[in-house]
Amino acid sequence: MNMLTAQIRRDLALMWAGRGDAAVMLAFFLIIITLFPLAVGPDPMRLQPVALPVIWIAALLASLAGFPRIFADDVRSGWIDQVALSPLPLPLYALSKVITHWLVSALPMLIATPLMAVMLYVDMTRLAPLILALGIGTLALTLLGVLAAALGEGARNSGGLMAILVLPLAVPILIFGTLASSPISSGPVGKDPVGNDPVGYDPAGYDIITPHLLLLMAVTAVLLAIVPVAAAAALAEAEAESS
Amino acid sequence: MSAAPKSSPDSSEANSRANPPLGLRLDGVVLARGMRVLQRGLSHSMSAGQITRLRGPNGSGKSTLLRVIAGRLRPAAGAIICQAPRLYIGHADALASARSGRDNLSDWARLNGFDATPDHIAASLQMMSAAGFADIPARQLSRGQRRRLALARLLLGPLDALWLLDEPNAGLDGPASVRLDDLISRHLDGGGMVIAATHLPLAPTHKGSDLVLADPQ
Repeated sequence: MNMLTAQIRRDLALMWAGRGDAAVMLAFFLIIITLFPLAVGPDPMRLQPVALPVIWIAALLASLAGFPRIFADDVRSGWIDQVALSPLPLPLYALSKVITHWLVSALPMLIATPLMAVMLYVDMTRLAPLILALGIGTLALTLLGVLAAALGEGARNSGGLMAILVLPLAVPILIFGTLASSPISSGPVGKDPVGNDPVGYDPAGYDIITPHLLLLMAVTAVLLAIVPVAAAAALAEAEAESS
Repeated sequence: MSAAPKSSPDSSEANSRANPPLGLRLDGVVLARGMRVLQRGLSHSMSAGQITRLRGPNGSGKSTLLRVIAGRLRPAAGAIICQAPRLYIGHADALASARSGRDNLSDWARLNGFDATPDHIAASLQMMSAAGFADIPARQLSRGQRRRLALARLLLGPLDALWLLDEPNAGLDGPASVRLDDLISRHLDGGGMVIAATHLPLAPTHKGSDLVLADPQ
């Protein structure tokens, strides 16, 4: 466990030293979202329906930009040999990459999301499910990215491979994520506070734990179980072939 | 898919009784790179306090053999019997270019679970005369300086370790090579083992043995 925290601390220090990369990713996220009001027009009636999908797709694309670098430096410098020979198991090393990459790439996006939501006329009472779903969804995306990055280390020029590998696998995350972000659209209208006929809905009354959120969590849990082991196998083999 | 080289448990027990403890034995090791066989039937043994110089033409599998002994690659066949802890310093220096030498050393020690105090790290930097540039990011260092930082790691590990060094003196200047020779001599005197692939003279005061790999062609 000490070795895991040591590895995480090292990676966070390295990412702090190279924080420009994380800033580029965040800027990418902000720019993709900002383009939509410019393209669609400032009309709330047209922006509101696409707001959540836009935020999700922006998060997906911005995350994608950071994946190829996850293991690149460690493989090039030979650090990965030292990790493989150390008492730290490779799956835990892969897990440490998931944690650090999520902290550095996804967390800033989550923090910027309320601002972006204002721009797209998302109802402020609906922020909580969006942030929650986005937080879990980006964790799932990071897991996919770590797996793809580990597989890509065997193949040179894996940038294009990354998008082809990750995007189709990200479809369930995108579907469950967008649905979980807007609980009202997921079925019957929200709770009626007085018990009257559900004409319309109370914008503040909704169940934050929707079936879609549970499905999103299930996808994430499966990835969390599989990815560290699969990525470790890929890293062990990739290095054996490439050096 | 078992990672351990195949050896029957009773034969390795017999070996450890026949040889001094913490030795290394290679038994009919076959080295392969992809589909290409580099070496077949390599056998060698050494015990505590000895150095083996690994020689052979480029591409004969010296680096591969070191990685196989370290446990980073699996041999295509044969057994490697080694009870000693192994420290591997490959071609790549394994330094994070944004981190200082001192930080790199403490990262490495923590990764391996070695208890390295700041004093201990300072002493090992001193030993490779790397203290003067230990606090600037490794990316600003020359190849020889980075090499010295990589080698300074060796002093943080256990005393009875087997050092696996791939071209350890490549890029080192005269005084640094002498320091490396000192480092190796001390380690051998203290009961450690060293296997080094090198084209240059290394630790000439210790006779050691040579393991010469033939040209695979």
